[in-house]
Amino acid sequence: MFQQFELAQGVKLYVRPTEQFKTINISFKWKQQLTEEQAAIRAVLANVLQYSNAEYETNADFRKRLDDLYGAVLYFDTGKKGAHHIFSLNAETVNDAYLSNEKVVDEVFNLLHTVLFKPRLVDGKFVDSIVTREKDQVVERIQSMYDDKTRYAQQRLLENIRPNHPASISANGTVKAVKAVTNEQLVAMHQTILTEDNLSIYIVGDVNVEEIKEKIASHFPFTARSKELSNDVQAANASTENGFLHEIQDMKQGKLHTAYRTPITFFSEEFPVMQMTNGILGGFSHSKIFMNVREKESMAYYASSSYASLYGLIFVLAGIDANLQEKAVKLIDEQLKTMQEGNITDLEINQTKSMLSNQLKEAMDSARAQIEIYDQYKELNESFTVEDWVAKWSTVTKEQISQMAQKIEKEFVYFLSGKEGEGNE
Amino acid sequence: MNETYFEQLEETLYHEQLPNGLDVYILPKKGFSKTFVTFSTKYGSIDREFIPLGKTEPVIVPDGIAHFLEHKMFEKEEGDVFQQFSEKGASANAFTSFTKTTYLFSSTDHVLDNTKTLLDFVQQPYFTEETVEKEKGIIGQEITMYDDQPDWRLYFGAIENMYKDHPVKIDIAGTIESIDKITADHLYECYHTFYHPSNMTVFVVGAVNPQEMMDFIKQDQAAKTFEAPQEIQRFFPTEQTNVAFSERSLQMDVQKPKVIYGIKATNTDISGEEMLNFELAMQVAVELLFGRTSTFYQDVYEKGLIDESYSADFSMEKGYGFTMIGSDTVNAEQLVEKIKQSIQSFAKEGQFTEEDLKRVTRKKIGFFLRALNSIEYIANQFTRYSFNDMNLFDVVPALENLKLEQVMQALESLKDEQTHTVFTVVPFEKNGNE
Repeated sequence: MFQQFELAQGVKLYVRPTEQFKTINISFKWKQQLTEEQAAIRAVLANVLQYSNAEYETNADFRKRLDDLYGAVLYFDTGKKGAHHIFSLNAETVNDAYLSNEKVVDEVFNLLHTVLFKPRLVDGKFVDSIVTREKDQVVERIQSMYDDKTRYAQQRLLENIRPNHPASISANGTVKAVKAVTNEQLVAMHQTILTEDNLSIYIVGDVNVEEIKEKIASHFPFTARSKELSNDVQAANASTENGFLHEIQDMKQGKLHTAYRTPITFFSEEFPVMQMTNGILGGFSHSKIFMNVREKESMAYYASSSYASLYGLIFVLAGIDANLQEKAVKLIDEQLKTMQEGNITDLEINQTKSMLSNQLKEAMDSARAQIEIYDQYKELNESFTVEDWVAKWSTVTKEQISQMAQKIEKEFVYFLSGKEGEGNE
Repeated sequence: MNETYFEQLEETLYHEQLPNGLDVYILPKKGFSKTFVTFSTKYGSIDREFIPLGKTEPVIVPDGIAHFLEHKMFEKEEGDVFQQFSEKGASANAFTSFTKTTYLFSSTDHVLDNTKTLLDFVQQPYFTEETVEKEKGIIGQEITMYDDQPDWRLYFGAIENMYKDHPVKIDIAGTIESIDKITADHLYECYHTFYHPSNMTVFVVGAVNPQEMMDFIKQDQAAKTFEAPQEIQRFFPTEQTNVAFSERSLQMDVQKPKVIYGIKATNTDISGEEMLNFELAMQVAVELLFGRTSTFYQDVYEKGLIDESYSADFSMEKGYGFTMIGSDTVNAEQLVEKIKQSIQSFAKEGQFTEEDLKRVTRKKIGFFLRALNSIEYIANQFTRYSFNDMNLFDVVPALENLKLEQVMQALESLKDEQTHTVFTVVPFEKNGNE
């Protein structure tokens, strides 16, 4: 779906010319092995580069410039994918075609060049006061997770099952790691990103491929760097078979998070079968978990499963009456068991096929989703298409799904709730 | 079928009002693979006092009933409607706001089949005492989930501070106690009053053939019978201009304080062009005073008084409206003081110029053009504009015609401190026995 060009070793450009959108989306993604320390440095660097540069001293000046360019969007971001940390720079700009006599797109390329290659350095360092403040901002971002009970419970679950492992390391690092970030480390990381990190550049919109190639080459003189990183994720460092942890906070609802492990990952031959299996178990509102935990027993508002395929993990999340935890665990266990025993209907299979293909096709209506999906699936096949993938689900059988369900093993239950009896109002 | 072409946006909108009163709008989008169909009724959580269809005396129904009704529409004698949608690859959903209830699906295939499912399930109510009782457990969990969300409590705390009598201050889902009073009879009464086609709108956007879709919906509606339409009489208490409480706070298990500075809007009993212009002028005013390019923002960001959770915006519906400036903050008092200063000092000579106005309107136009890439955005916004007698696609020309004078008037309306309120969510005091 994207045309590909190697601009230099380790620097690839992916372009998708389309008239579907009224804007042009641009995304730079720099990849590196994910560690807590590096993640923290990269998260702070993203903030520091966002705040100011050599041409725009304050963020307000910079934003005013973006506003003038019809509210162009330009932001740094950090994320993770499997064993990798992704440092990204994203932009979205109105296509000149929809404006009279404007050269907005060129100006946005100039700004992208500025934020990347013209940092605001004093004596070879970033401005200390900015570094201090942006470190605080990242710390606060990490801490704010505590206020969102679902995210908090999920993070606690991950820390318990996969400590010091990419599955539990946040793309922002930890509070401790962020506090330890130095100005020198930020300067060094900035250089690493410009010259050493594996880089993918994505462009989606109504563009001329040759023109855009030239623009990228002239604005961004990226040189050769290391090739692809390995996609291998380290094995779990400890077994937490049948672990259970109940933690208490001042809250009303109970958050029940269950982790399952499976040897099937994104890179496995059986990956599409596992997507179907997870879909039937709890991916949708026709799934076993939703139908039985919510609709039949009325004990939850949300109850679903998700498949973190890069880590070989499946999670079941439910928001339940805190007094019904044991009953909920039992009900959820039963859903997986019944699938392992082969109790899967043709209706469930057809519904799940329809929903998975609809989900993937629908995602193609967003430029950002096109980039994200391709960025992931190109690791399997650079000529990935939606149609090919939909075809893989269409042949999956009941027997395959049942066998797949047998490869899902319950590993840990984490429960977060209020003090005993408090959920009972 | 009426056809309107919006030249600047290169969009064509089709519309027809059917004999039963149902408004149908269709917006084809080139290059998209999915179709989004929404079916909305002008009925939300604030409609708690009204004269039921065929009756003469007003009734007051339990809080949270519009949302409860939305949940119950999905359950039929033969089972759950989600099952039918899943079979045809459609993601279905519904939501209830203060003023409307929307049912929707999106799908890339079987669009007409799914449209039929949508029209049928919304137009064929099925409630029994047993299914109503069962739903109380699910909605009870939904209410508790929101109770645990500090940002939701903060938002509603600010609204409760502002409004003394208007039902916008009541949580959309109601409370565990209020939903306990809901019966199947209540649901039927609300259903028959507010789900008449003449109070509803279908909006279709995406990969769709407009004529085929219009004919399909027309045929479907012609085959169903409805009672004669009747003007719905709703009653709202007269709301005072001043806020109900100027300051309140709530303790929760949070890392640091959260604050909303709320400013209650006056002059909200408007619709159509007047509402569009007022709303845009207010949004531009808030952007100038509190947006990310404002001197205020620069100041409080550098002082570390706000973080990434910061937001400032204006929103309204007919009968209520408010500006909210909010953030997680290490020092709520100082932040509130800064907000007050900013409001009181704007009127200084020449603080905002034509150039500022131009910049902010450009930003908003750019935002709008980006948003038109999103079928979800269009689907969610279009009906909201339509129910208020506005057209979503008039936003760009209205922004281009916006005068500095209108924005200055909007700014002026923010000054009266009797309309201001502060709500904070603060961490529990540490008492050593944790």
